[in-house]
Amino acid sequence: MTAAFPRPDGSAKLAGAAEYGTDLDVPGMRWGVLVPAPVPRGRIRALDLAPARAIPGVVAVGPAELAALLPGAQPDAERPLFPSTEITYHHQPLAAVAAPTLGAARRAARAVRVEVDPEPAVSDLETLFPEWPGSGAGSSPHVAAHVRARHGDVDRAFRDAETVVEETYRTASVHQVALEPHACLAEWRDDRWFVRTSTQSPFGVREDAASILGVPERSVVVEGTWVGGGFGGKGASMLEPFAMVLARASGRPVRLALGYAEEFRLGRTTLPAVIRLETAIARGRITGRRVRLLLDVGTSLPGRDFATGYSIGFLLGPYRTDAFEIEGYAVRTHKPPFGPHRAPFAPQCAFAVESHLDHAARAAGLDPEAFKAAHLWHEGDATALGQRVGPFGLGDAYAAARATAAAWRREAPAGHGVGIGAGFWSTSTGAGGEARVLLGPRELTVVQGEREIGSGSVLIGVRTVAERRTGLPAERVRIDYADTESAPFDSGVFGSRTTAALGRAVEGALDAVEATLRARLGTDGPLRLAVEGDELVVVAGTARRPVRALLTDAERAAGGIVGAGRHFGAGGSIDETRVVEGAFYPYTDFTGAAHVAEVAVDRETGTVRVVRYAAFHDAGTVVDPPSARAQIEGGVAMGLGTALTEEALWSDEGRLENAGLLDYRIPTLGEVPPIAVTFVEGHAGAGPFGAKGLGEPPIIPVPAAVAAAVRAACGAHVVELPLTAERVARALKLV
Amino acid sequence: MTDAELTVRVNGRTERLADVPGDERLLDTLRWRLGLKGTKEGCRTGDCGACTVLVDGVTVLSCLTLAHDVADQAVTTVEHVADDPVGAGVVRAFQQAGALQCGYCTPGFVVALTGLLKERGTDAPTEELLEGLQGNLCRCTGYAAIARAVARVREELA
Repeated sequence: MTAAFPRPDGSAKLAGAAEYGTDLDVPGMRWGVLVPAPVPRGRIRALDLAPARAIPGVVAVGPAELAALLPGAQPDAERPLFPSTEITYHHQPLAAVAAPTLGAARRAARAVRVEVDPEPAVSDLETLFPEWPGSGAGSSPHVAAHVRARHGDVDRAFRDAETVVEETYRTASVHQVALEPHACLAEWRDDRWFVRTSTQSPFGVREDAASILGVPERSVVVEGTWVGGGFGGKGASMLEPFAMVLARASGRPVRLALGYAEEFRLGRTTLPAVIRLETAIARGRITGRRVRLLLDVGTSLPGRDFATGYSIGFLLGPYRTDAFEIEGYAVRTHKPPFGPHRAPFAPQCAFAVESHLDHAARAAGLDPEAFKAAHLWHEGDATALGQRVGPFGLGDAYAAARATAAAWRREAPAGHGVGIGAGFWSTSTGAGGEARVLLGPRELTVVQGEREIGSGSVLIGVRTVAERRTGLPAERVRIDYADTESAPFDSGVFGSRTTAALGRAVEGALDAVEATLRARLGTDGPLRLAVEGDELVVVAGTARRPVRALLTDAERAAGGIVGAGRHFGAGGSIDETRVVEGAFYPYTDFTGAAHVAEVAVDRETGTVRVVRYAAFHDAGTVVDPPSARAQIEGGVAMGLGTALTEEALWSDEGRLENAGLLDYRIPTLGEVPPIAVTFVEGHAGAGPFGAKGLGEPPIIPVPAAVAAAVRAACGAHVVELPLTAERVARALKLV
Repeated sequence: MTDAELTVRVNGRTERLADVPGDERLLDTLRWRLGLKGTKEGCRTGDCGACTVLVDGVTVLSCLTLAHDVADQAVTTVEHVADDPVGAGVVRAFQQAGALQCGYCTPGFVVALTGLLKERGTDAPTEELLEGLQGNLCRCTGYAAIARAVARVREELA
């Protein structure tokens, strides 16, 4: 295995030379600012931009200006850039201004006269559905999506059960907290927009921005900058269409960046949920499960909610279930739309299902860990929705976690507790994608449209695939970051897909190059590439030919031999006869993790301190161990925030009450314990060399592991995330 | 507040800046007047540490510092922190330990650790250094690789 460190991007980042979205700065640039809705819900009576325009150098754009500004455009009627009558969430952009300085732009935004008739906003799920989980929710105008699936005789399982346990869990809204807020720069020239932006998906931004504005995709060229953290929050477009209309209106490049409070208020992320779980147990086995979910999706559009149908599968957990019924409602509230946050909603699902099954096992007089281990999926089993489980190492990971937990329990002092949490995930295919390679006389170039967002998935993962596949050293493999005009399409750096999917595409592209080389050399024996002097050579048996000598004139002009390859597609399918309503989704491959947490609980205050932590992961074949370990360390730390402190506090009226890093607390250096990382190999995935995705899995089991450890330490059974001191103290009173 | 001239020494160069408003933050002076974008803008409320710089060798949050408050003092930003052997050792330690991912918090950590080592001495205990970095937030690494960089910094400085 190659050691990737020092990181190829280390020098630039350590010298402060890497340009991020927030650093974009060109001569003549204007500063954009959004005009925020003053209330979470209301009717706009008047929007007067004239006072803003009275400030020298200011341009202002509102809903009334768009048609004239974008002649012939056919904007998405369901997603207007600016609302013309109804405000649907607090700080929703009502207009946008640009000025020669940030100060002038801020003054202009404040000068815009907004008159609104406020209306009562609804933000709380249980206020909307006081009778839930009874009937009636399905017909509510607040429901954006309703999904339901069932299999087997659930009613009979519950009727015949020896033990039935019913519980309700509540989970909080959490924010990605990428340290770099959203930022971009848009320019209009030669009848096209050129957009530079801090994004996980340049092609996603192009598609999204073009559709919102109703302009052709070919009129938008997107190029990524370095990204100061993504975590799902920088996948789709956010600021780009606003910057684009301001650029068009001002005839200048326009920079638009969020302040950190706006980052919290406008961020598309995980919103609150209520989860109802019921389990029937007979003869030591799970005989029936009922799962119901109310998921707040903010102002997500009806019919476009993905989270409910995808995430709800995680509420059954990686456990064999003969008879089940599962039902989820995506509920619209007056908040920004739900958006992906590292393994969207899966940590919350794992927390609920793991805690609940522990609780149910105890109620049945069974050992929770042995009970779970006996139900875990293995390769060849079927998921609740009837998909065959592919290579899957969670059983091995869980066994290793139990051994570690047993050892830690023997050593743990009084007041400490040790717990295990498990979780599973898949590697997303996204909308697919391609990669191109160029084998030149001196180097191999991978041409692709993504930017390295920090995980190493592009700069280390994809590069390592190219190195290992060709035998070339790192310095002879160049990753080219192209814009959407010149790069082949790729869905984006999300869904734990990049090294696996883009790496697979690079393998395909290298296969194509190899086929070309074979044809030219007239050989079907093994081929490899090597460096000789300053040149690349093709080695076939004892023959060595410089790449230079194998190029056609056209290739010499283009820089080398071109090969193109595609990603893998979706791996499996679900049994659609089990789906009653809505869309459920299959998994591409199955990644699993079991985590062990040791915590100390202060019984007086309820304060939880995580003392040590161990993570056991099946990530298929690990492509680059140092980066893989770094992903897990970072994911666990992020999960500790979800577990213990992170909670975006939305008032019942839809106002965010803690829009800042002082009141929304992410883990600090002193709060993350040592994390031991172990890979369980031997369960190959769909990626190169059998790799599976790893960006998201590390966050999934964390809240579950911490909650189990808290219960072991003090008996408190907390059914709400995060496990704040207050909640733990309250649960302790019930012990 | 009125605009006034400001003289400040930044990365060894004397900068005479005209019309600097009294409420301008050092962060904005560095980034937008002097083009030193290595100093990162995160929260602007002093909670994340991404904007850390050295003023006369002492770590300061440039988002909470008024530009006029550092008049005639020496400001060092990440772009030049490695000019000094301590800063260069810190950069090597981060590079060798792979103590960065997205890199947005990195300039703040590098400058803050350099400042700590200058203030407490290069033989300061690792625990003390780690405690001194608690005001810098990182969302990618879980701080594990950063702690490994801190642990090896003495080796790099030897």
